[in-house]
Amino acid sequence: MEILSLLGQGFVVAATPLNIGLLLMGCFIGTLLGALPGLGPVNGVAVLIPLTFAFGFDPTSSMILLCAVYFGCMYGGRISSILLNIPGDEPAIMTTLDGYPMAVQGQAANALAISGVASFVGATIAVLGLSLFAPVLARAAIHFGPADYFALYILAFATIGGIAGVDPRKTLLSALIGLLLATVGLDPISGVPRYTFDSFHLYDGIEPIVALVGLFAISEILMLLEMHLKDRPKAIPVGSWLPQWGAIWKTRAAMLRGSGVGFVAGVLPGAGASLGSFMAYVAEKQWSNKKGTFGKGDPRGVAAPEAGNNAASGGALIPMLSLGVPGSGTTAVLLAMLISLNVQPGPLLFERQPDLVWGLVASLYMANIALLILNLPMIGIFTRLMMTPTWALMPVVAAVTFVGVYGISNSVFDLEMMVAFGVIGYVLRKMDVSLVPLVLGLLLGGDMERNLRRAMSISDGDWSILIASPISIGLYILTAGFLVLSVWLAVRDHRQTQAERLTEG
Amino acid sequence: MSVRILGVAIFVIAALYTRQAGTYAVTFGDVLGPTVFPIIVGIPMMILSASLVVFPTGQVDWPAPQRMGRQAAALAVLVGYTMTLEPLGFPLATFALIALIGIILGGAPWKAVVLGAVMAPALWALFDQVLGLPLDFLGELFV
Repeated sequence: MEILSLLGQGFVVAATPLNIGLLLMGCFIGTLLGALPGLGPVNGVAVLIPLTFAFGFDPTSSMILLCAVYFGCMYGGRISSILLNIPGDEPAIMTTLDGYPMAVQGQAANALAISGVASFVGATIAVLGLSLFAPVLARAAIHFGPADYFALYILAFATIGGIAGVDPRKTLLSALIGLLLATVGLDPISGVPRYTFDSFHLYDGIEPIVALVGLFAISEILMLLEMHLKDRPKAIPVGSWLPQWGAIWKTRAAMLRGSGVGFVAGVLPGAGASLGSFMAYVAEKQWSNKKGTFGKGDPRGVAAPEAGNNAASGGALIPMLSLGVPGSGTTAVLLAMLISLNVQPGPLLFERQPDLVWGLVASLYMANIALLILNLPMIGIFTRLMMTPTWALMPVVAAVTFVGVYGISNSVFDLEMMVAFGVIGYVLRKMDVSLVPLVLGLLLGGDMERNLRRAMSISDGDWSILIASPISIGLYILTAGFLVLSVWLAVRDHRQTQAERLTEG
Repeated sequence: MSVRILGVAIFVIAALYTRQAGTYAVTFGDVLGPTVFPIIVGIPMMILSASLVVFPTGQVDWPAPQRMGRQAAALAVLVGYTMTLEPLGFPLATFALIALIGIILGGAPWKAVVLGAVMAPALWALFDQVLGLPLDFLGELFV
């Protein structure tokens, strides 16, 4: 009951004209960014953050706008997956497997409608889960002391990206680079300037927004330049946009299963929407691929991953809001924005700023309805805009990126730093080093150090305080478990590729 | 090979970083001081990067020279933009940015120039006039 009244208050906050306007704008921009190949949720949100700063929106309105963009991307990614066979963003990769064959067989309208409804089901279930579980988790986390927070951050770094199967050493190194960057600037406790090279630009530290816009948006331009530019894909022409409603109804079970799998994947740290859609597809294939129709245009193969990626993206908001530890790349970027607006996510957020939390949750319910309308009856707009050629799109995106970062501080130094981070991001991505742990390290590094030093001040220099509470011991055990698992997975993958190489040679 | 070079680079940075951390003085009442946390970060960094040098993983496919040239050109344009934004003002610098990046991305030159000529003033009008984000119109051109 308490949740219902809080949610009611949330709707009051979310229903102001400004917030509704931002919500609709965010849904539209998000769907478009998702549909355009090459622009995904991380880049989209990263580019928009500086703009929300520059316009001086309050944290609640900024979060409503950016979460609408985030959800919109998850809806929009499927459009190019189905019509172009190119995923609009990373989580939509699985949708190409059955969505494109369906479109080839003349069922494009059905595929788009099924995936649209599946997105709605997945996202709505995730927002329901968010309303129910996030407050519970926040209430449990209120007992965390400084040493426990230190342990929680260690867990976050060990797990994020760790299950993805790439070399876990690279993931850890990425997190450490982020922590290294976080120590640049005046030390908040002693006032000593660290690693500033006597440049006053660096006294305030490295602005995370500048770093992450460079890492994601600028490096994307460099990535784009090494691909083929000339071969433009042709979209499959769609005769009628009207789907057969019976075909949608038949996939209802797949949608629900996909939502459940995706939601769990999203809540776990370090996974995010891509893993959510992948796991949902694999699970659905195991469950219902009795006649071998998957991969050849099975509607359930469209419904499950779409429900999965939307459920995962909603689920990833839970650890971000209630613990201050994001579960995916985009939520890490959202966390960066909240911290920059002086809002510290975590258990206290639910007590101190219920308006922000519940206003956001309420607006997500509304966003889902708006997105369903944008993505079913109004889908024709996006299929046309989606064909904007890259040479025209990316320069304008680059210009908007510069405006946004310049708008925060009016400093050319920040623009130069952003370009430098773009190069760093490009090199690291080429080496299979995930950038999400780096961003997380840069964001949480300051807090991690403060908690460590606070804990050590309480114990007067006795390191055993770090493992004095059952909470921190439990978190360290969990961390060790995840590390063992990710090393095991990496070794197994390594052996597999070597075995394949041997059989090929 | 690339991964090995990356490992060496990170190792050197981490070693310098850790050495520098030792020079920060501990103040009274702050048990760990500004020194210990960077050391906690630096030492595992050195170990991990050293292990990447010895046991590298993953293959890196660098782009062909011609495409690398394209990337270098784009970078030059981006850096050039940071240097010309204040002297030339927003519309002019942005026109050059959009037109040049458009050409580098393979657009027909005249189309890219038209795009820049339309979008640069449009973006200025949108951000400066409509949304109230102050952007210089002519910079220091006629000062």
